[in-house]
Amino acid sequence: MKQRIETKKINRRLFLKKTGWIAAGLTVAAYASYPVVRAKLPAFPTLDAPNTQDGVLWLQAMADGRIRFFCPRMEMGQGAGLGLSQVVAEELNIDQADIECILPNTDQVPPFQMTVGSQSIANFFDPVSWGAAQLREALRRLGAEKSDLPADQIKDGRAGFVLPDGTTLRYSDLVPDTEVIVSEDQLLPDDTLPRLALKSAKNHKAIGQDWRHHELEAIVTGQMTYARDVQVPDMAFGAVIYPPGFGAKLLSADTNKARAIPGIIGVEIDKGDDFIGLVAENPFILGAAIEALNAQWKIDETLDQGQIDSRLDVEKFRSDDNFAHTLWSSGDLGTAQRHAKHRVTGRYDTPFAAHAAIEPRSGVVWVKEDKIEVWCSTQDPYFVQNRVAKILGREAEDVVVHTHRIGGGFGGRVPCQASEAAARLSAIFNRAVRVQWDREDEFQNNYFQPKFAHYIEAGVTSDGKISHWDHDFVSSSILTGTVPSLVGKAIDIATPDDGTIRGIVPQYDISNRRIRYSAVRTPVPINAWRGLGSAPNAFAIESMMDELAFIAGIDPLQFRLQNLPLSSDRLANVLREVAEISDWGRPSPPDTGRGLACAVYKDETAAAVVVDIQIDHTTRAVRVTKAWCAQDCGLVLNPHQVESQIMGNIIWGCSMSLKEQITIAAGRVDEDNFHMYEPLRQESAPEVKVALVVPADTAPSAVGEAALPPVPAAIANGVFAATGQRNRHLPMTYESSFDETG
Amino acid sequence: MQLVINGSPVTVPEELQDVTLLDFLRDFAGLTGTKFGCGIGLCGACTVHLDGVATRSCQTYVSDLDDTQVTTIEGLAQTFSGEGLHPVQQAWIAEGVPQCGYCQAGQIMTASALLRRVPDPTDAEIREEMSGNLCRCGTYGRIRQAIVRVAQEA
Repeated sequence: MKQRIETKKINRRLFLKKTGWIAAGLTVAAYASYPVVRAKLPAFPTLDAPNTQDGVLWLQAMADGRIRFFCPRMEMGQGAGLGLSQVVAEELNIDQADIECILPNTDQVPPFQMTVGSQSIANFFDPVSWGAAQLREALRRLGAEKSDLPADQIKDGRAGFVLPDGTTLRYSDLVPDTEVIVSEDQLLPDDTLPRLALKSAKNHKAIGQDWRHHELEAIVTGQMTYARDVQVPDMAFGAVIYPPGFGAKLLSADTNKARAIPGIIGVEIDKGDDFIGLVAENPFILGAAIEALNAQWKIDETLDQGQIDSRLDVEKFRSDDNFAHTLWSSGDLGTAQRHAKHRVTGRYDTPFAAHAAIEPRSGVVWVKEDKIEVWCSTQDPYFVQNRVAKILGREAEDVVVHTHRIGGGFGGRVPCQASEAAARLSAIFNRAVRVQWDREDEFQNNYFQPKFAHYIEAGVTSDGKISHWDHDFVSSSILTGTVPSLVGKAIDIATPDDGTIRGIVPQYDISNRRIRYSAVRTPVPINAWRGLGSAPNAFAIESMMDELAFIAGIDPLQFRLQNLPLSSDRLANVLREVAEISDWGRPSPPDTGRGLACAVYKDETAAAVVVDIQIDHTTRAVRVTKAWCAQDCGLVLNPHQVESQIMGNIIWGCSMSLKEQITIAAGRVDEDNFHMYEPLRQESAPEVKVALVVPADTAPSAVGEAALPPVPAAIANGVFAATGQRNRHLPMTYESSFDETG
Repeated sequence: MQLVINGSPVTVPEELQDVTLLDFLRDFAGLTGTKFGCGIGLCGACTVHLDGVATRSCQTYVSDLDDTQVTTIEGLAQTFSGEGLHPVQQAWIAEGVPQCGYCQAGQIMTASALLRRVPDPTDAEIREEMSGNLCRCGTYGRIRQAIVRVAQEA
């Protein structure tokens, strides 16, 4: 056993090193199915299934008959653990109360894919169902043993089985107080394993129900422990001063003055690393100590927004005819352009954006001789584990990351820099250390959604079809956004970034087409933000669709439907559905307008959005008063939860369209709190109506980001309908709706 | 000096009289249900009741609180005469409001103070009162719905 464990670790490390992904922070999903390390599994009772599907690793039947589900998805409000619990319940014929769903720490289950990209249900439905089904069948075999009957006479019953004579056997009657390990050869092959979750939706008992998340009561009573709430005995309180600009260098700090403050345990400065941190006996003196340090920095103040904008000038790339990648190309653009009845050009820009989750990140780390404990919230605990190990020069398996519900993720919580700092300080000062970011740290020291600049030239034929589509754009790599610049530039030339180009190919039937792309790296740190490129890209595409419909004199809904290929029937259906629920075509009073847009997220989830726009001249505001969304994400595990996600996406979309923009000034991020970067508030939140379109027997697909992409264009199209002015730059404002002519 | 937090007296050490109520609650009293969000009174995550009035605890100093009843999310249910959770907390669960949940303690404290003052608020009153509390997950619609539910069931 020992030998096998070692082999696994070495292979995994070599694999990661070979692919060069360590710096980019990806946890490799395929490797999650690596042989299980028995010593790391929960002790009793469990299933040992090396080299087979992962679902069995996440489930355990307990002696009281309840099922413990080590949810392999981090929780940030999307409720993946809830939906997947319903899959567990379906397979095991149990209720919500029979499931203990927990966020595992990194010692409890082998690495699983980080929680990003709205793939929790789409990717984990099947393994969870498979694992739960295997557990049910293992329990059935225990039932057969106990009753001395063949397994096929032991029928499914609630939380257990029913014997031919009507006797019930509950799981609690079957799970012994000793460890039972189901070996690999006892697992049923796929063709004989009954899968209740894969049955038609009408047969489902748990799937499709509006279960509420089991942590709601803890949340509404203030008992939920977020990372920021963690308290460890004898914990010390750390603080870190981060560089106040991109690449700023630490010049000096008055450490003596800080150390003289009673209660300060120590100050750590590493000029080579521009690290300056301190640790105190209580948190109340940290502010004074930071002030006393009076850290002086050298900042390159030349970088500003204008410089970045000029580097991301798509028209310059276009005039130089200089794009690194052609993503989509066919037909004959030149001929089509000449034969088009109408032609439109548009340049669409979206700004840098911040996650602005309400919980600023926090980490508590306790470096002990034999074990390093980390308490934090992250979308990838194994990444934090590896990062902390690397910083301390220890092995990953020496580090355990205790995970907590995340107070807002949105792609911004893959690393936990506060934990990394706490680890350094804990190792130096030999205490458990807490480091908490404040709001300014969040704005100044995390990564951002990149700026996008699109240029589209397109046209319409005399019969209302899209004649051609010539689309160029520049932005920055997202998935590899944080790799060192030189490596990054090589990657940018070799391959377009999958995150940045997400959703860039229109769903419409277009024979004459070309999409070109170049990546630009700037000193602004870039990485995942809700939906990655999908919303900026759909903003350009669906704005242009509206411009084409308008110039051709065709209703925007009709124009989309008549340009969708037959293969896009699921998108056409959500368009028809959103038209139905919003009463599309109804006339709008003065100073109001309606906008429509649609998109398919990750080639699987179709969403269409209609918004009502009102122009308020008194307060000089553009308001989204109502929004409708029809979405087809296949099988719906929990309609309430899916609706919540859609509502959240609509609000997020309104916020990014009307409110949000990160600007760079004097070598740093200009915005540092909510007065400068103010997400949408209740007073401006539209009423949202949702319709779920569920074709029979379809697999569940992405939800958490799927309704976002159409929102910005729907708003821009609605503003155009209300004012006749085309907004091609986000964020849109009252001023831009009247001063900027299209 | 002493504070009365959720009905219980808490003695304030001399050296902590100048800290914010938020820091005092979280790091001295161990009441972590009240959240830090922005530190400048713009997000509402730190909302508590001072004598029943919704107040930003990050903008309130302990030294200003003589003779004031402080209620936090942990003590909200005990301000309600009935059994179990406060009706606003019950409605929050029934409507399934929270997503990440981090801002919700503040939302609930603001909503419960509103409903105490205005038992049957209009949509405009709800929106105005709740606009000081940011929710990044976008639960605004469900929040309004939960407040309406409390008003209807009262």
